[in-house]
Amino acid sequence: MTDFLTLFIQQSVNGVYLGCLYVMVALGLTLIYGVLNQINFAHADFVTVGAFAAFFTATRFATRVLGIPDTGAYLLSLFSALGAGALLGWLVSAAVFAPLRRSGADELRPLIATIGVSVLLENGQLALFGPIPYQFDSPLARETLRIGKLFISAQSVLVVAVSAAAIAALYAFMRFTFMGKALRAVAQDRETAGLMGINENLVIALTIVIASALAGVAGALLGPVVVLTPFTGASLIVKAFACVIIGGFGNMEGTIVAGLLIGVIEAFTVQYLGSGLIDLVVFAMLLAMLVVRPTGLVAERKEENV
Amino acid sequence: MTLRRISVILALLGIAVLPWLLTTGYWRGILVLCAMNVLLALSLNLVMGYTGQLNLGQSAFFAIGAYVSTILVKSHGWNFWPAALAAILASGLVGLALAAFATRLKGHYLAIASLGFAVITYQVLINWESVTEGVRGVYGILPPVPNTVALFYLVAGIALAVYLLLDNLVRSPVGDTLRAIREDEISAASLGVNAAVWKAFAFGLGAAIAGLAGVFYPGFVGTLVPDAFGIIESFTMMAMVIVGGMGTMIGPVIGAVVLTFLPELLRGFGELRLMIYGLALTLVVLFMPGGIVQAYTSLRARRRP
Amino acid sequence: MKHLFRSFIAILACAALPLAVQSQDKVIRVGVLMPISGPGSYFGVMGKEGIDLALEQVAKTDLKGTKLQVQYEDSACSPLQATNTVKRVLDQFKPHIVIGEECSDATLAIAPILEQAKVVQLNAGSVTMKLTESGYKYVFRIFPNAEQQSAPLVKVAREKLKAQTAVILYEKTNAGNDNAEGFEKPFVAAGGKVLAKIDFGRDVNDFTAIATRIASLGKVDVLPTFALEGQQVRLSQALAQARVVKGGGGSGVQMGSIWLPWGYDQKAGKAAIGYVRIVQFDPTEKRKIVQDFIKAFQAKYGADKTPTHINAHAYDALLLVAEAVRRGAKDSEGIRSQFSKFKDVEVTTGRITFDQKGQNSDLSVVHFVETQPDLSWKGMSWQ
Repeated sequence: MTDFLTLFIQQSVNGVYLGCLYVMVALGLTLIYGVLNQINFAHADFVTVGAFAAFFTATRFATRVLGIPDTGAYLLSLFSALGAGALLGWLVSAAVFAPLRRSGADELRPLIATIGVSVLLENGQLALFGPIPYQFDSPLARETLRIGKLFISAQSVLVVAVSAAAIAALYAFMRFTFMGKALRAVAQDRETAGLMGINENLVIALTIVIASALAGVAGALLGPVVVLTPFTGASLIVKAFACVIIGGFGNMEGTIVAGLLIGVIEAFTVQYLGSGLIDLVVFAMLLAMLVVRPTGLVAERKEENV
Repeated sequence: MTLRRISVILALLGIAVLPWLLTTGYWRGILVLCAMNVLLALSLNLVMGYTGQLNLGQSAFFAIGAYVSTILVKSHGWNFWPAALAAILASGLVGLALAAFATRLKGHYLAIASLGFAVITYQVLINWESVTEGVRGVYGILPPVPNTVALFYLVAGIALAVYLLLDNLVRSPVGDTLRAIREDEISAASLGVNAAVWKAFAFGLGAAIAGLAGVFYPGFVGTLVPDAFGIIESFTMMAMVIVGGMGTMIGPVIGAVVLTFLPELLRGFGELRLMIYGLALTLVVLFMPGGIVQAYTSLRARRRP
Repeated sequence: MKHLFRSFIAILACAALPLAVQSQDKVIRVGVLMPISGPGSYFGVMGKEGIDLALEQVAKTDLKGTKLQVQYEDSACSPLQATNTVKRVLDQFKPHIVIGEECSDATLAIAPILEQAKVVQLNAGSVTMKLTESGYKYVFRIFPNAEQQSAPLVKVAREKLKAQTAVILYEKTNAGNDNAEGFEKPFVAAGGKVLAKIDFGRDVNDFTAIATRIASLGKVDVLPTFALEGQQVRLSQALAQARVVKGGGGSGVQMGSIWLPWGYDQKAGKAAIGYVRIVQFDPTEKRKIVQDFIKAFQAKYGADKTPTHINAHAYDALLLVAEAVRRGAKDSEGIRSQFSKFKDVEVTTGRITFDQKGQNSDLSVVHFVETQPDLSWKGMSWQ
């Protein structure tokens, strides 16, 4: 693979796939921020939990107890990861976000509380699962598709496909269902939405659950691709934040664009500079964006922090 | 004799006596660590507690203090004290720079930006190998004074001096200004407060104090590696400030002491230690946002008839 | 009167007897510093397994009436924690010997402290050259250092595999750095060309971009890699996808040192085919001490678990302490003097002979294996 065009296309493909991973993680973050103006710092740990849930479902439950073969077991595990994420989301919403909202706390306390939850989750998983990486293999991770000199693993294709499907589903939900419209209303103006008869607490709780379910599924998709330890989420959280900020807090389109952009930049940084510099480049971008255009790449809402 | 003078004398006596109550090399080392943590907690409290700026990357300034002083001493042959001064200045300046860039940001933006800054600092430490030795680390670093007891007196003495300095500061009109910015920046601006300048001041001073703590760290441990300055260190500092009582002067001190000695009591529980930190942080923020200080004052209030 | 006197003597004798017996009951205290918490606990968990097992096995042998008493401490792979922990252990437990640590940074942090306290440090997990190059008299290491791991690889690469070009891949830690340099220097000196030296942090998960980059470098003959198993699996799979290595239809040969345990090949699948590496602990070895170790390990920890080299080295470390005691060591100085005289002492990973710097210089069981298409190991008689 020595000609430049092939190289360029291959790294771009790698970048898009990486970007989809980041988008799956960051999308939930942005959703929660959009509707609640809060950051869930434990979000990436939900991804880890989802990955473990999927792992145990696929390798222990589905194959040994139910006797379902590989691919089916893996697809089943996607659902259990979704469930695990949703459950965690509901717990954090009920135990952390809701009480703090009721007591009228300032905007930063929930962030700090979720930092505590994040540390708790990471080390709790460490105590439960141990530090030695788990080998999560989906049957798709070993299949490679080739087009000429280009290659992409089947798992990567699945990641891109599921991300696209999730995004499409989310869009449809927001645009065409009542709940979705209620969500957008609450995001835009909570008080007025309340006056219009929308139960904000329900909407907010639902949003967090959906966002966390997304995180869980992201974990199931990531599991076969990454090194699975209780700290896997932590390695993704800072890049997920970068997506959210560069894309614009609360801005779905922005997050998607930012995620793909970061993925592609990462791939090309590895090609020309070295993987040790990835974090440096991404964060320099983040800080630059904050200086130049704090509202993010795709400016949709006006700057609220007057 | 004012209450304050008495407290200072008691504190001095306490510091003088402690190394003779805890006489093993190990516990004296913990005392030194505690004094450093007090400095760090005080520095973060100035920025978070008094000025209301959420800084998730304070460990970066701690790192700058540690690395600048060590590099000057080891690679350029400087003496410890001029190197320390340079390191403190460096941290303070970087803190000012971060503030200049971050003053436009509020709340979550600032939090993430400070996190990003901490990540960048860490990456620079790892990658700029010709200067920092990267992951290899620097070894054989000597403390400025020959034994642990002397080191404790030095650091604790400095911590006390810094405490008094900050205490005076927050009682002065400067403190009022910072508190005004914390409560409502817009109204403060309408009163003629130049929020940007004061926020920069708080950031810079906080960074310099963290750098000051950093100067003693490598000599105490003997080796210096970038891994000692990660995000989890920033979170631990934050936990100390919040659990102790953010926005008060004695709160961070209490938080630092409690969270330095708590791991010793939890020795047997290896993995659970960090879990308990996380749980403590969450519970305190949810139920007792003012930390231990709040718990104490509300207990006293309840006892009054 | 006579009767009373005799009874008195008898009573005295009875009183003296337990005292005499007591003075036979010697204890050698072994402090163990391992990362038990935090991300480095990967090593501590395995180290503890090895030592626990060794304690049991050693208790069944004759130790001249001496008991080995072990105390574990958590050093969390960090210099600060390790420094605090070693000070506490020295104060409270007063060990005669300390086994530790696993991570190079922490090991280097405790070395001067143990040296000053004149307590032997037996290291079974760190690679850094600095440990044995700093003139410490109380440091002994049975783990092969960076040069010992990489130099044989270079020899095989140039002589047997006729490699002209190499791409070195390594994790960004002291250990990875040292190993990478340990390969680069002699390889270049022998006339080879290093096309790229690619490092990555322990938190890097996806290697597709790196594999693509390597594929764009032209013909790569060997790819020496120094990473932990989790990352190595993903890396190999990516390299296979990019058709860089034999396992994926390419021509490059992946090379490695002792970092990868038995079972890696099964996890990596086809991508591991053609992998050439040094093994320090080979569970298929027929030596009695190895087979006994495996049987005992599986009896204690489960029949589906095969010990890794980290288990083995930790196990060996305790065996060596026991051996020193058998040869007459009663305290730290005794252990030190016995260790410095060790020649060809057999343990599961090979034979131990310490050189004057405290490094084990006997690499008798450094032999090469190549992964076959059925994922089994084939011994290559290259040593």
